[in-house]
Amino acid sequence: MADTILVVVEQREGKLNRVSWETIVAGQALARETGWNLEAAVAGNNVSGLASEVAAKAVTKVYAIESPKLATYTPDAFAAALKQFIASSQPKLVLMPHTYQVRDFIPKLATAMGRTVITDCIGFKKEKEILLFTRQMFQGKFAADVTFAGDPPWFVTFQNGAFRADKIESGAAAAPIENVNIEIADAVVRNRPEEAFKEAKQAVDLTQASVIVAVGRGIKEQKNIELAKQLAEALGGEIAASRPICDSGWLPMDRQVGSSGQTVAPQLYLALGISGAIQHLVGMKGARTIIAVNKDSEAPIFEIADYAVVGNLFDIVPPLIEEIKKVKPAS
Amino acid sequence: MATVSATPKSKISGGSFLLENRSASDVFTPEDFTEQHQLIAQTAEDFAANEIVPNIEKMEHKDFSISRDLLKKAGELGLSSAEIPEVYGGMELDKVTASIIADHIAKYAGFATTWGGHTGIGTLPIVYFGSEEQKKKYLPRLASGEIVGAYALSEASSGSDALNCRARAELSADGKYYVLNGEKMWITNAGFADLFTVFAKIGGEKFTAFLVEKTFPGFSIGAEEHKMGIRGSSTCPLILNDCQAPVENVLGEIGKGHVIAFNILNVGRFKLGAMCVGGARVSLENAVQYAKQRKAFGKVIADFGLVREKIASMAALIFVGESLVYRTVGMMDDALSQIDKHAPGADKETRKAIEEYAVECSIIKVWGSEMIDYVVDETVQIYGGYGFVEEYPAERAYRDARINRIFEGTNEINRLIIAGFLLKRAASGQLPLMPAIKKLMDEVMSGASTEDFEGPLSEERKLVSSAKNLTLFAAGVASQKYMQSIQDQQEVMGAIADMVIEVYAMESATLRAQKIAEQSASSAMLPIAMTRVYLSQAMEKMESAARKVVAAAADGDTLRAQSAILRRLAKHDPINTIQLRQEISQKVIERGKYALN
Amino acid sequence: MKILVCMKQVPQKDAPLKLNEAGTWIREDVSYEVNEPDAFALEEALRQKEKHGGEVVAITAGPARSQQVLREALAKGADRAIHLEDAGFVGLDALNVARALAAAIKDEQFDLIFTGLQSDDQGYAQTGVVLAELLGWPHATIIMQIERTGDGIRVKRELEAGFFQFVDMPLPAVLTIQSGINKLRYATLIGIKQAKNKPMRKVTMAEVQPALGPNLQKVERLHVPQKTRNTEFLEGAPAEIAKKLVDKLRNEARVL
Repeated sequence: MADTILVVVEQREGKLNRVSWETIVAGQALARETGWNLEAAVAGNNVSGLASEVAAKAVTKVYAIESPKLATYTPDAFAAALKQFIASSQPKLVLMPHTYQVRDFIPKLATAMGRTVITDCIGFKKEKEILLFTRQMFQGKFAADVTFAGDPPWFVTFQNGAFRADKIESGAAAAPIENVNIEIADAVVRNRPEEAFKEAKQAVDLTQASVIVAVGRGIKEQKNIELAKQLAEALGGEIAASRPICDSGWLPMDRQVGSSGQTVAPQLYLALGISGAIQHLVGMKGARTIIAVNKDSEAPIFEIADYAVVGNLFDIVPPLIEEIKKVKPAS
Repeated sequence: MATVSATPKSKISGGSFLLENRSASDVFTPEDFTEQHQLIAQTAEDFAANEIVPNIEKMEHKDFSISRDLLKKAGELGLSSAEIPEVYGGMELDKVTASIIADHIAKYAGFATTWGGHTGIGTLPIVYFGSEEQKKKYLPRLASGEIVGAYALSEASSGSDALNCRARAELSADGKYYVLNGEKMWITNAGFADLFTVFAKIGGEKFTAFLVEKTFPGFSIGAEEHKMGIRGSSTCPLILNDCQAPVENVLGEIGKGHVIAFNILNVGRFKLGAMCVGGARVSLENAVQYAKQRKAFGKVIADFGLVREKIASMAALIFVGESLVYRTVGMMDDALSQIDKHAPGADKETRKAIEEYAVECSIIKVWGSEMIDYVVDETVQIYGGYGFVEEYPAERAYRDARINRIFEGTNEINRLIIAGFLLKRAASGQLPLMPAIKKLMDEVMSGASTEDFEGPLSEERKLVSSAKNLTLFAAGVASQKYMQSIQDQQEVMGAIADMVIEVYAMESATLRAQKIAEQSASSAMLPIAMTRVYLSQAMEKMESAARKVVAAAADGDTLRAQSAILRRLAKHDPINTIQLRQEISQKVIERGKYALN
Repeated sequence: MKILVCMKQVPQKDAPLKLNEAGTWIREDVSYEVNEPDAFALEEALRQKEKHGGEVVAITAGPARSQQVLREALAKGADRAIHLEDAGFVGLDALNVARALAAAIKDEQFDLIFTGLQSDDQGYAQTGVVLAELLGWPHATIIMQIERTGDGIRVKRELEAGFFQFVDMPLPAVLTIQSGINKLRYATLIGIKQAKNKPMRKVTMAEVQPALGPNLQKVERLHVPQKTRNTEFLEGAPAEIAKKLVDKLRNEARVL
């Protein structure tokens, strides 16, 4: 029997998240590289619909791992179910997305099987028949190539965005789906989770924001702040500002980013009309992606921006809000 | 305590560095910080970064409710009572700790002044001169920051010559209180302090200190001064208009106010040095960060040699400053650790132990305040036009630093203290300066060869030894010429003080670098480079000061002969400081701030 | 409640890291500090103790230098500390680190074990969960709030996309703590002074060796990631630029 790569996808409320598709892409790439079979599994209660969605992609088989105990996520039930399944199906490599849910149970699963997991990988390579998994270390200052030293199954999780979901290959025909019913004893599940909920917005802690829209002097007047707020809202982010704006009282001081304000490192920092004084830059240069809109093509902010728009923010922002609304349903 | 070794060391006498060659193991350095020192440094650093720095703007605009809040927070953490005994609610920690805290609090000069005024001159008079009742009554609340202290010595027409004070005190008819009249000036923390150590002359004669609470009848505060710098601190005059201070609030002995007035600055001066180092470190960090961002001619200005040269010079100065400050407080702690703090007269012993190092403390003050002025000035220069506008931190730091050369005894007064103290000690035989000078003169005449040094930094240690000889030579020449009246030759005294200062700085840096090198050659590269850069520039100053003294003291053939000796003593091979500064700036720029690793 | 807090010493955030000669690890001559999430874990343990009484014990595994994190914990209020002292602990995989910790506390009876949610150096985010499995305890990760219930605890887990969830669980349990769950205290000077006299138990590698196995994964090499910011200028009419930006937001920044 050929070796197998198993991708365990993640669903929430009957929907697969994007990073699950990305992980299938990673699996497809690994299958090409190794010549191993690629199989997928989705765990839950009544997941055959999702299984058939996955079966449309280029995988050799999809397992629907079913148990009423998997209806609500608990680490105990998920680890128990997957342990039973993996122990019997014996894949060589088990891939999962590095989500909050997966990181909650995969170390437990691997430990229970006497194995380890290489978490949060951003890529892989094969050298001399050995698979190396690349992951960031020291907060991204270095990348590490990590190998497995023990016996399979080897567990790997991939970081959000490591592979591109739109590169997924569809299968020539739908892959076969196998239902696997797992028995989980009552005593196994110890945690009793409640419904997930969203919290009303609390006092701002910009350091925790994943998206920040920041305004600088280029916003010109206090009333224009509203436009930036609309953009922040459309992106589900927080509004912030450079010092002159807070000094003028247009936004409260706790919205200030920079050496005398907060130091932030969001996924996205969108700077509107900020020239990029060093005091500001030190507070935000750790952002993963920086987009800057400024009239002055020589503005220092462009030095550290990933994407630069030289132009009037009042021209750019309104259509941008419209475009965002098109692709992102109101939350 | 901060002793480096477990065995008590023989106490080093103040000023003896000039005559004796020290070894690396004799000096305390930041590398010798204990785990406890490091933890306290961390708390002080976090407090400064998280509590002080975010409030700079408010304090600059004189929102002193913030300053009081911060003093309260600092008090609760124990940051304000390192020098207060445990029995009075203090932390009773060593002077290294006190310096570490000052060093970190100095991130923002405005609050550092407030804090320094409170914990130093606002509190220490009671620590060292208070009665048991006074200590019990005031120290716990000063320690916790519940009340804020201040010190009122200067007047409109008396500053360094404080004994000329005009404020008067008269005993009331019922003998229960003194009635104070007069006006005090430049009172740090006056705007919001609760307790003032006020100096006045009883009956116009007996110079005496009083503990005056702001609620005492007849006490009022004048308007805030509009200052060049440290605007985040309060400075007001204090008006005593038939102010009533109970007799039990006389501090120390009647008529002995001068003992307090002179000593209190001595016992606190070392922390000013630490603050200058801390402030300079922040300034350098700002300069480096700016230089790494600012572009000119298509590259960042941190790539330009003339900018890098400045950065390296600043870093080297901070290294020397740390070496000076912590060496000095380490010596103090060694001396203080030999005092039984609970024995009667312990206050006096403690004071005496600190005063032993009055020369070293004055050196720290003078050297540190001139160092930070250089650093903030070059920071402005690196910022260019942006250094000249208020929106950037360089401008404020430039203004803030200037006061350090003025307060806590002007640098001129301190130079006279340095030279005068040594000559006084020499005259009284406490310091064998004259025999040393004679021995040197004999050696010079006989052409004896100089001492040899081995091991790491042997060249540098040899240079330090030359610097000492040069200083002794100049002091000897001046003593021969002026005899007792040398005290009146302020310019000569100043030049000798300059040389003494440089000797101490050169030696402190050299011994620290040597100590690091003995631990690990790889981590010593930067310290050694910094030491060599500093020694090179210090030797130039030494030579020029020596030449000035010799030229004033002699003429004709004598002058020519003495100049020849001077040249021989100062002889050293030039080193490639351009290369060294390149190496230093490379590291500092890479690190984005002053750091040795 | 008796709470164990697992803490790690990591290179300071702004420390300039350099690779060792072999390119397999960083050079160790940098400054170190407490892993930030672990500091929050400690703070939470101290708060729980202040509310419910009990004991807080800090534990770390690493060379002599890592004692600093335990001293800091003691200065902030931990009652005692356990130091698995050996440079060799640095090279263990998460499974072996958890095994070593479990072995070191085998004679203790803790109600709760806290870890930070991940380390700032390796960032595997595994040790706490692995430890729970080794001990046979339930666990919950990325915790933002902890309340005592009748016979167990109720914790608030952070989920993705702004969602949270309350979970009831029995004791003993392992929790991995999210940064920002509380406000960190400073070590007071009085606490720092007292820390010197608090007990610190040393555990050698030899004592825990029998519990360890071979490392099952290995860092072959470290390298500097290539990517630096290459600024891409987006041009065109505003509407066009808006479209391009949305594409970048979706596929590059991945915030949509």
